This record gives sequence, C-alpha cells and structure tokens, in this order.
Amino acid sequence: MAGVMEHVLGNEVGRLIVGLIVILIFSQLNALFLVWLERKVAGHIQVRIGPKEVGPFGLLQTIVDGLKLIGKELITPKRADKILFIIAPVLVFVPVLVPFIVLPFSKSLPLNDMNVGLLVVFSFSTINVLAILIAGWGSNNKYALLGAIRSVAQNIAYEIPLLLSVLSVVLMTKTLQMSKIVEAQSSYWFFLVQPIAALIYFICATAETNRAPFDIPEAESELVAGFHTEFSGMRFGLFFLAEYTNVFVVCAVATTLFLGGWTGPFGYSLGIPGIVWFLAKTYLLVFVIMWFRWTFPRLRFDQLITFSWKVLIPLALANLVITAGVIKLI
Amino acid sequence: MGYFKDILVGGWSLVKGLEVTIKRLYRPVVTLQYPRHKIEMSPSYRGHIELKRFPDTGSHYCVACGTCMRVCPSGVIKLQGEKDKALDVKKVVHYYIDFSHCSLCGLCVESCPMQTLEFSTEYELADESRWDGVIDLVKYFEESAI
Repeated sequence: MAGVMEHVLGNEVGRLIVGLIVILIFSQLNALFLVWLERKVAGHIQVRIGPKEVGPFGLLQTIVDGLKLIGKELITPKRADKILFIIAPVLVFVPVLVPFIVLPFSKSLPLNDMNVGLLVVFSFSTINVLAILIAGWGSNNKYALLGAIRSVAQNIAYEIPLLLSVLSVVLMTKTLQMSKIVEAQSSYWFFLVQPIAALIYFICATAETNRAPFDIPEAESELVAGFHTEFSGMRFGLFFLAEYTNVFVVCAVATTLFLGGWTGPFGYSLGIPGIVWFLAKTYLLVFVIMWFRWTFPRLRFDQLITFSWKVLIPLALANLVITAGVIKLI
Repeated sequence: MGYFKDILVGGWSLVKGLEVTIKRLYRPVVTLQYPRHKIEMSPSYRGHIELKRFPDTGSHYCVACGTCMRVCPSGVIKLQGEKDKALDVKKVVHYYIDFSHCSLCGLCVESCPMQTLEFSTEYELADESRWDGVIDLVKYFEESAI
C-alpha cells in the first residue's frame, strides 16, 4: 500500500489527481461546516441556540439541507437565457476551486507551488464577478439583474484597494510565490509592519465575497435574493457553496499574506504542525467575517462606493507609496 | 483633518459594535427547547380558574353557592352542588367552565365568598374542537391532586 501511495504521489499527474480529489472533498466539507458555523454564530450572538436537532450539535443539519437541495426540481424560467442560466452556477463554482491549488496549507502541501501563485488566486477570483453577471442577466428577472449590476460595480470598486494592499506585501517580499511570502514572515508576521494594508485587504475581501455589511448584491429586503433569485435546487446550492468556499479562500490568502501562513508567532511553532496553524488562523478570520455579518447593518449603495473611492483607495495608494519609499531607503 | 477624524470615529464605533455582539456570544442562551423543557409560569399568569386547595383540609371550600355563576359577565360558569347529609354542608359535584368564551375578567375569583377560586397557571390549552374548551374543574381538581 505504501509503495502504491509513493508511486502515485511521486508522479506529477498522480499528485495532481489525488490533490484535485482532496480539494473537491475539502471544499464541500468546508462549505458545509461553514454554513453550520454561520448558523451557530448567528444563534449565539442573538442569544439563541442555533441548529441542534440533526446529529451532535446539529452538525449533520447542513448535510441534510444539501440532500434536500439535490432532491429539488431545477426550474428554468420560461424567458430566461437557457445556456447562460445553466452555465452560471458552474461558472461561479469552478473558479473558486482553482486557488486551492496554490494555497500553502503547510511547507510541503501546496499542490503546485507556482511562482505566480498570488496572481492565480486573484485572477480566478475575479471570474466570480463575471459568473454573477451571467447569472443575473440570464435569469431575465429585474431583481436578479439589479443584483448583478450592483455586484459588478461593487467588485470593480473593491478590487482596486484589494490589489493595492496586496501589492505592498509583494513589494516587501519581491515575489508572487505563496510559499516564499510565508517564508519571508518566519521571524514576524506582516500585519505588524503592514497594519493598514492588512485592514484594507480584510475589508475588501469581505466586500469581494459579497458578505455583510457589503451584501447589497443579494440584499434580501430590496432584491429578494439578488442574482440567484431564480435559481432553485442544486443550482442555488452551488452559489451557496461558492460563497462559503470563497470566504475560506480570501481568509486563507489573508493568512498567507499577513498572518504568516503555516508559521507560528515570531517563528515559534510550539510543536504544532504547520497545517494546524494555517487552518486555525484561517478559521479565526472566517469567524471574524461571520461576526461582522451579525454586527453591522448593510450599507447603502452610495455609501459603499464612496467608502471605497474616497477612503480605501487613497489610503491603499498612500500605504503603497510609503512602503515603496521605505524599501528603497533600507 | 475632518477626513481622518471621520475615519477614526467611524472605525471606533464599529469596534464598539463588535464588542457588543461578542459579549452576546458568550452569554447563556435564553431559548427553551419547549416540548422537552418547560418554563415555570409566573404566579400572576392568568390561565382558566381552578379550585384552590387549602392545606388544613387538603381540599377546596366550594359550597356551590353559585355567586361566581351569577356574577360571570360571559355566562361561562355552570355548577351543581349536593348536600352532604353527614356533615350538613353543601359540596360542589360538577363545576363546568367554558374557557373558550371566558374573558378572564376575574370577577368570579374576587366575588367568591369562600375565596376558594384562583387562576391556574395552565397554558397548554390548544385543542381540536370548540367543545374542548369546556373544563370540569372538579375533575381537574381531583386530577391535580395526584
């Protein structure tokens, strides 16, 4: 058995296939866990209990919900654009899996440690916006279209400060390779020297994933459910899975860039394996995003755009210029 | 300068908000798992009336005088008594109240000369038929003794 495993993992193609299967399983289980966690956090913040009936602590609740979604009828509206309507959920879910290939879970665990790792993550997470626009347009529904338009405007506004804040880290490490960025933080984590960039990244990541308080593309009170209004059954389920997988990905990237990835604080790993450090930090950030959702009310659309263009982008630019200047001087 | 002040003041208010919710997160939950756990009803709760049990006799003092029946503005009380020959007192044998029409005014409780009526803390009163609202208080009294 060990010989077979060695043969499969030693082979480039074998490693890729095993890795993809692991990614698929992990992303599903992660999304199911996050939905459960979200409901538990929501419950306890509102002094309720949250799901508790199905399985221990209600852990199986989301699996049962998923099974229900699989069993439901897939309704396509009569006047919807059939092709776009069908490919939109697939297009929204597939790109969020790609960043898992380069995410450095531990020193030896990135499936493929590309030298353009960071670029891969951000280029594929941008496809998400296109998929949302396709979903909104293909539904032929005014609420879906409004939600999609808002999503595009929001993502364009927040992509810029996001990338600017990432750029200041890239300037410091002079590499786009995820593992090199983590290794550069072996003595101290970057959020200590780049607190503004870390904060801006985290705010923009919340907006990128369409999470509250930036969830206006799916504002329930105005737009029914936004771009996924017309989707039923597992098509809706894919949007849901994509959202939670996306949350995990942006938090994992934040961990890599600012919280030192698999390393312990100030280089002390305390005997805890790297993957545990990585997942612990990532899930802590995921919890903070959930905490945001149950604390802050939704922004008005003009407030949202104003906040990005008048506050985040100037601050990110100033931060980038100062970073560049300091690096030049040192 | 107002630009940075706005950012700092706004940011601080967000931190304050987060502080409020994180405190709630560690607070014990108030939700009760209803069919499995039940709440202790407050004594001021008004369910339908019941016959009060006095500790000295272990029974009620109702003598079937009919004051409650006459005073009831909704006319939902009907009772019947029987004379106990040995003790030479009248005792109630049937005490019916149609709770579905009761307005819970409490006149019966106030007017009772023996002060043997009180509001019960019964709250699980949902039923299938309108006649299920008719309660035999004597039977209820005997059952509650067990």
